[in-house]
Amino acid sequence: MAISFTLNGKAQTVDVSPDMPLLWVLRDTLNMTGTKFGCGMALCGACTVHINGEATRSCITPISSVSGKKIMTIEGLSADGSHPVQKAWIEEDVPQCGYCQSGQIMSAVALLSKKPKPTDADIDDAMSGNICRCGTYQRIRKAIHRAAGSPAQKA
Amino acid sequence: MGQGVQTSLPMIVAEELCCDWRRVRVLQADLDPKYGNQITGGSGSIRSSYQTLRKAGAAARELLISSACSQWAVPGTECRAENGFVLHAATQRKIPFEQLLDAASKLTAPVDPPLKSLADFTLLGKPTRRTDAPAKVNGSAKFGIDTHVPGMLIATMERCPAYGGTPRSFNADEVKSLPGVRGVFEIPAAHMTHQFGEKSGPDSRNYTCSGVAVVADSTWAAMQARKRLKVEWNEPAAIRESTDTLRQHMIELVAKPGSVIRNDGDFDTAHARAAKTIEATYEVPFLAHAPMEPVNCTAHFQDGECELWAPTQIPDAAAASVAQALAIPKERVKVHVTFIGGGFGRRLIQDYAVEAALISRAANAPVKVVWTREDDIRHDFYRPAAYHSLSAGLDAKGNLISWKHRAASPSIGIFYSGTGISAGEAAGVDSLDFPALSVPNLRLEFAVAETGMPLGYWRSVDDSGNQFVRSCFFDEAAHAAGRDPVEFLLAALGPARKIDLGQGNGTIDMGRRRAVVELAAEKSAWKSALPPGKGRGLGVMYGWGTYVAQIAEVTCDPKSGAVHLDRVVCAIDCGFCVNPLGVEAQMQSAVNFGLAQTLKSEITVSEGRVNQANFNDYEVLRMNEAPPIIEVHIIKNNERPGGVGEPGVPPTAPAVVNAIFAATGKRIRRLPIRAADRA
Repeated sequence: MAISFTLNGKAQTVDVSPDMPLLWVLRDTLNMTGTKFGCGMALCGACTVHINGEATRSCITPISSVSGKKIMTIEGLSADGSHPVQKAWIEEDVPQCGYCQSGQIMSAVALLSKKPKPTDADIDDAMSGNICRCGTYQRIRKAIHRAAGSPAQKA
Repeated sequence: MGQGVQTSLPMIVAEELCCDWRRVRVLQADLDPKYGNQITGGSGSIRSSYQTLRKAGAAARELLISSACSQWAVPGTECRAENGFVLHAATQRKIPFEQLLDAASKLTAPVDPPLKSLADFTLLGKPTRRTDAPAKVNGSAKFGIDTHVPGMLIATMERCPAYGGTPRSFNADEVKSLPGVRGVFEIPAAHMTHQFGEKSGPDSRNYTCSGVAVVADSTWAAMQARKRLKVEWNEPAAIRESTDTLRQHMIELVAKPGSVIRNDGDFDTAHARAAKTIEATYEVPFLAHAPMEPVNCTAHFQDGECELWAPTQIPDAAAASVAQALAIPKERVKVHVTFIGGGFGRRLIQDYAVEAALISRAANAPVKVVWTREDDIRHDFYRPAAYHSLSAGLDAKGNLISWKHRAASPSIGIFYSGTGISAGEAAGVDSLDFPALSVPNLRLEFAVAETGMPLGYWRSVDDSGNQFVRSCFFDEAAHAAGRDPVEFLLAALGPARKIDLGQGNGTIDMGRRRAVVELAAEKSAWKSALPPGKGRGLGVMYGWGTYVAQIAEVTCDPKSGAVHLDRVVCAIDCGFCVNPLGVEAQMQSAVNFGLAQTLKSEITVSEGRVNQANFNDYEVLRMNEAPPIIEVHIIKNNERPGGVGEPGVPPTAPAVVNAIFAATGKRIRRLPIRAADRA
């Protein structure tokens, strides 16, 4: 069944089983591996993308449900790493293994689009669905504050 | 795998080479014997490579200088290298490295080139951002699971819920007919080679899981088809154990004498004479590694050769185990090492490489085997559960004079090497473990607990659980003596001095041991008063050549029992620090990893099966539970570089548990901390 949507600003059509999760359409059908598989149950956040601007776990989003919608993945944030959140992540030297970071960044971008100057409590709420086993949480928090243009709230 | 070696190791070369760091590009090497040992683990990358990489960079620099000097017909003493150029000061000439490469490559590299003095370092010791960060923030970094080779099929495997089981029957025909499925194959268990190249005795238990592989043209098709697979299993004859049966077994073991691992002075006599004695039992559960990238590997077996794309910590072991499983020479296994989405010791074991190779052979195609998160949680090689019994005695002045520690646990050594190893090699404790050298009458015993569970190396290995036990019981002794825990520890450590540990174990520097404790205490304002409900606790670790002290500050809600991590203050002495920004990251990483085992994670077993499945029931630390602040204070000196990946993990649990005691008077003796323990 052919399903059409906008992906990172470009029209896209795929012909797959309608129940295939968006995650696997991205990774296997379209060979876009920036969005990651971590748990398959929306518990870890590694698969986070934006659908019509909302942070969404693509591992439990059937492709049929994104028909006609605007999808943005990590690859679409910028052509050259120049998105302010990406730049903040580099400034604060956030990634370690890096596997969770696509999802972390997509969740952070969505947070900042809604709350341009998030508090630490806002960050807790928005980001606690994204697990990092390497423990980059403190630098993620600093990077979000940096991208927001505000100093860290707790010295 | 995240610890920053793609930055720190090139920095070492670049410093001696005198190239322009901004122009350095880092490429991951395939398995190749010319590189020597390519293992990443054991907090050993910088420790094992520091001198060789300096010499490599220096040798190349000397070749470049020689080439320039020949070209200019000037003596070598008049030229120097700097920032990617060779310069001749007298004539103010300079030539970029790239114009010298041709000539330099024809010269013979000096065997013992002069190394820079530390005073001349321009790069090492400076906070340096990671070379791999750009690829990791734009989605382009390729992990093992991202591998794509032409004609590749995807496999996912159903494995017996109890380790060691084999398939008796399964509905192959039904599953083969499902959309996208290319094959359904029974995959036998394979005995792996020892990952560190040691001997694997005949009764070693390091096998891959046997099971049924569903091979399809997409990951989704494979996973969906596998849900329709019905497998009847021959359950293993091994122990039908549960968390409770193993616990009972370990309780019985510590009630009797174990193998004596260390025996200083005369514990029995000193303890009988003590003015005050304390006793306690401690326990820790099995733990899964749960790296964010689920276990996977891609293999292509054809014409008697096998090519692997593996997120592995030991490419050589991957080749060895695959060669053994396929019965081909090791030289015919090619290994490409990908980025690893978290190792923590899980990727030391090469089961995923063997599975991929066997499935590729069965399917006659390149195959990527992908584990689900449930597979990862249920079929890990776990950090062993352990049970501990301790006694300590204080003299009338409150000094620690006697210490007995009896530990019981399944043996990682026996799992991988078999029963033909010594009691010392089998033990989950070491004769040099804390507080050896700090208590005059000390006895350490270990008893091997029988288990059917697969065992492995979890970041900081035995110390991950043991240091919680020792550092907390030590804190209990301090409080029993009515003494401040920091002062009590410093008194027991004794004055600054170096102690030869004998038998090639090097020396331990008690001055450096003291210094990290004093620094952590100073930076956390240890002596300042805290309001009710708040407390500070100390945890320490010496290992991998590095000294660590951590002080956790907690707030405990008396009504709910909830514990909030206010901050953790770390002091680390890792000798000469190659990249302080990387060391800070590693310490923060280790603390967050240690907090997960302190507050959240546990694997339980029923009838030989792991009960947990995903992050809903195997819980790890999340953003809202991480302390807002982890301060890392790095002591600057020029000692030999120590390892940093692991030493920050063991002190965290005791720092937190001791802080909770300081805040509430409640002593916790098992992990993870449960609400009932805090009430």
